[in-house]
Amino acid sequence: MAELDTTPQRTRQGPPTGQRWPGTGGIDRRRLIGWAVVMPLIGGLIVFAVYPFIYLIFLSFSNSNLGTLFRGWVGVEHYTDSIGQAKFTTSLLRSIIFALMTTVASCILGVCVALLLDRAVKGRHILRTLILLPLMTPPITVAVMWQLLLMPKGGWLNSFLMDMALFSQPVSFLGSPTMAFPFVCLADVWQWTPFIALMTYAALQTLPEDIYEAAKLDGASGPAMFWSITLPMLAPALIAIAVLKLVIAFKVFDLVFVLTGGGPGQATTVSSFYIYRVAIQQFDIGAAAAQTLMFAVVVGLVTIPFTTAHDIAEKRLT
Amino acid sequence: MTATRVRKFDGGTWLADAPVGLWTLARWAGTAAVVLFFIFPMIFMLMVSFKTQPDIASGGLIPEEWFWQNYPDAWNSVAVGTYLRNSIVAATLGALVTLVIAVPATHAIVRYRVGGKFLPAFILATYVAPPIVALFPLFFLLRSIGLVNTLFGMALVYGVMNLPVAFWLLSSFVRRLPEELEDAARIDGAGYGSVLLRITVPLLMPGIISTGIICLILAYNEFLLASFLTRSESTQTLPVGLSLYQGDRQLRYGQMSVASLIGIVPVYLLAMFFQRWLIRGLTAGSTR
Repeated sequence: MAELDTTPQRTRQGPPTGQRWPGTGGIDRRRLIGWAVVMPLIGGLIVFAVYPFIYLIFLSFSNSNLGTLFRGWVGVEHYTDSIGQAKFTTSLLRSIIFALMTTVASCILGVCVALLLDRAVKGRHILRTLILLPLMTPPITVAVMWQLLLMPKGGWLNSFLMDMALFSQPVSFLGSPTMAFPFVCLADVWQWTPFIALMTYAALQTLPEDIYEAAKLDGASGPAMFWSITLPMLAPALIAIAVLKLVIAFKVFDLVFVLTGGGPGQATTVSSFYIYRVAIQQFDIGAAAAQTLMFAVVVGLVTIPFTTAHDIAEKRLT
Repeated sequence: MTATRVRKFDGGTWLADAPVGLWTLARWAGTAAVVLFFIFPMIFMLMVSFKTQPDIASGGLIPEEWFWQNYPDAWNSVAVGTYLRNSIVAATLGALVTLVIAVPATHAIVRYRVGGKFLPAFILATYVAPPIVALFPLFFLLRSIGLVNTLFGMALVYGVMNLPVAFWLLSSFVRRLPEELEDAARIDGAGYGSVLLRITVPLLMPGIISTGIICLILAYNEFLLASFLTRSESTQTLPVGLSLYQGDRQLRYGQMSVASLIGIVPVYLLAMFFQRWLIRGLTAGSTR
């Protein structure tokens, strides 16, 4: 905590205003050079974020396909059409459910793993290295691993369940409209829980030891200390981590691409995948642009309550 | 929490003190379950890579006979080597581009408050948008300057893509730097550039290494942009190459596992060697 408090303060002071570069003229050269040095970053962001947004806005009002762009203006037609399409709106809903479910699941599991890491005496390093690996694995490869585990013919899960005599027939988990989505979520949780565990573990190290000592003297039990000390003090960091995971979850694409291709039917078609298909298979860049913008708005709207919660949790602590 | 005192697993104590013993036992079981959950998919893929096609269909864990032929077959049937090279080149160049832009910029923003409060918030806000947002505009931009389907174009895209992440990671390292050294050098007459290069960058090295590795891995693993912006074998990255297996009428699971394993090796080695830096970098944000 001590560190949490002191570091931002130092930066809050910033450079003493009006301080001049020694040996130079009247202008604050440091700021000037600072701006020059920041320009490439701003340029990069313009290319990667600002320009695409403006470009998409124009595209979304136009009739465009991959070959020829801007073949005439259509007004808000792409927006109204897309909102009217159940396939698109359910893909938005599915993205939201995917993001929330995987975030909640990987946060709960991640906190548990972090607590285990915190307690592990022997082999903490080995444990840390091992759980680092899913995070490092390319998502495409994560998808391949889970495809192998889940395939109906020769997948490990099927043969395991059949050996246990729970199933008599192999089940196509990824081919089932009800089970495909949870299993895509599971693969995502597998990949991202280590990230949350490591971040939570780091946040745990900043909690002051003396509060626990005091609580122990008062006879508090382990679970009681977790619920009334660890969790509330961890809350700001944990919510910040959850926001990050939420944002990442909305970006999911590779897992769906390999595991299910959006199917069966539309069962696993999240927005980023739906939009990709509209653009690649129907070549309708105009509609894809409108949908992309609406998707971005939805991502923002879902993220805002979490950032607000983070501010509240942080205020309550100080 | 009563268990904190019993840090060593010695039989006597945990038998004598039942609650402690139960906690310890639960912890060991939990740890074992966690480890198994996280490494099992990798192990299964490793096993599949040693199986023949009929053996794969049987679904056991251990191959009935160890079939090494998948390895040369995978290497010869798809351009794994080329994909790997493309991935490494694009990701490494991309990470360098990110660092060259982000290190001086982050330093200026955090230390000299360039851009005030707006710029940091703006940088992080750009990270929220899903990459599909940038996909088509970037494609048309790259096409107009002739960089579609080039490794150089991919490296530039990755370099720019990771800027918000790099800013976020580096800023917590910059905040921890002592200001006094920079001030002292400045009073001795050093200019902006030499303060940055001689004082800041060396002090920031752990943060730069951590950030560089994370950006490298993010770029190496990226699929969506690469699948759209690279169209031929000579530029396609490994994730794109792996995705091509999915188009086969009958999936060659054995060879696909081999290719996936080959792709994992560089990142896993990087993770092992730079574990400390990686964790320091990843956790820099949550401890501020």
